[in-house]
Amino acid sequence: MFKQISTQLLQHLIAQNSWANELLQPFAGKSVQLNLTLLNTSLVILENGSLAIAGDTNVPDATITITPSLLLRLIAKDEAAKLQIKIEGDTHLATELAKVFSNMRWDYEDDLSKLVGDVPAYKLGELGRHAVNTVKETGINLTEMLSEYWQEEKPMIAKKRHVAQFNAEVDTLRADVERLEKRLNKLAKTNAAETDSIQPVKKNVQ
Amino acid sequence: MTTEQNTHFGYKTVAEAEKAKKVAEVFHSVASKYDLMNDVMSAGLHRSWKRFAVSISGVSAGDKVLDIAGGSGDLSKLFAKEVGNNGQVILTDINASMLGVGRDRMLDAGLNVPALQCDAEKLPFPDQYFDCVIVAFGLRNMTHKDRALAEMQRVLKVGGRLLVLEFSKVWQPLAKAYDAYSFKLLPLMGKLLAKDAESYQYLAESIRMHPDQETLKQMMIDAGLSKVDYYNLAAGVVALHKGYKT
Repeated sequence: MFKQISTQLLQHLIAQNSWANELLQPFAGKSVQLNLTLLNTSLVILENGSLAIAGDTNVPDATITITPSLLLRLIAKDEAAKLQIKIEGDTHLATELAKVFSNMRWDYEDDLSKLVGDVPAYKLGELGRHAVNTVKETGINLTEMLSEYWQEEKPMIAKKRHVAQFNAEVDTLRADVERLEKRLNKLAKTNAAETDSIQPVKKNVQ
Repeated sequence: MTTEQNTHFGYKTVAEAEKAKKVAEVFHSVASKYDLMNDVMSAGLHRSWKRFAVSISGVSAGDKVLDIAGGSGDLSKLFAKEVGNNGQVILTDINASMLGVGRDRMLDAGLNVPALQCDAEKLPFPDQYFDCVIVAFGLRNMTHKDRALAEMQRVLKVGGRLLVLEFSKVWQPLAKAYDAYSFKLLPLMGKLLAKDAESYQYLAESIRMHPDQETLKQMMIDAGLSKVDYYNLAAGVVALHKGYKT
């Protein structure tokens, strides 16, 4: 039942983003396994450029692995996070599929309009967007406020420049220690050479 | 075990030449109540299985689709919507009574779907003609499944897909409950609704004699199909196999 419902949802999304058909069609018959820690599933590209959940004995042509922390960064639209997605197998196929998913949009207003009509759907959409923006802005404000408090008032988080300064000091210390080590080795060698040259004199005295 | 001359008809062993005749009798008998019985027996699930098969087929506008053992035409109707006016769906069945029901339904729905009575083991179509061939709940009634699969492969274009929707081996923990349903309830429902307990007894037996998921997958590979994969539906009560002609 999961496969039937998921396939229906995927195909609904693809139908709303018809530009994706052209991108996916050249890979018809190929499949990609998605490892999202909590959700591991394989998707197969159909001949009409749509997507479906793969069957029970499918062997994937590519694998995409996204850790939960990376997923959160991707949802927050962190561009640098995209570079950390782990891709194995047919990289061209996996990259195109990832491109489709990152550009895909759910036209919820269109779906809603079929249930409640165009105008209420638009108003509800507007309300939803406003709520999302408010939550997003509140989240950013709260994060900034807390980071400022923990940096300035009750230092629990190091500032970036302090971390950089600490790193530079560690580098200098490491270089100093290496120099000192070399100097000590040199001294030890000199000392050993001197000891060797003194010993025959001691024998003569005896 | 079957020999060259003998084959299964449910749990009975009959002469190969007899099987087609006996299957024909079963379907002549149930044709008028076929849809009603399907709905009652599967609690309407057969419709969602068929819709799923269409969604997995990858069929798009302009494609040519062959519906084998299409009977009352459920799948032909769904495919006709997908292929549009530039595509082509052909409904076939070996049984004239079943095909008659399907043909009438296509006409009533205003769909241009030709209905053709033919044997799946000797398809009257040229090589490499169809983009998709589907057989739903029909393969298990065929006398020589291997020949039928080879024929389906023959009429597919390169890159074309064969879909087989058929009863299969249920998930083991549910096997006892499923047996009780199949051998006790099913013939009873057949008796009450279609006034034909025997045909539904045959249905239950033929399901048990049909190859399981992995065996059918291998049979499709042996018929020349590649990348064969299957979906277990309703815990394996039904399986949808898909293979490609390459």
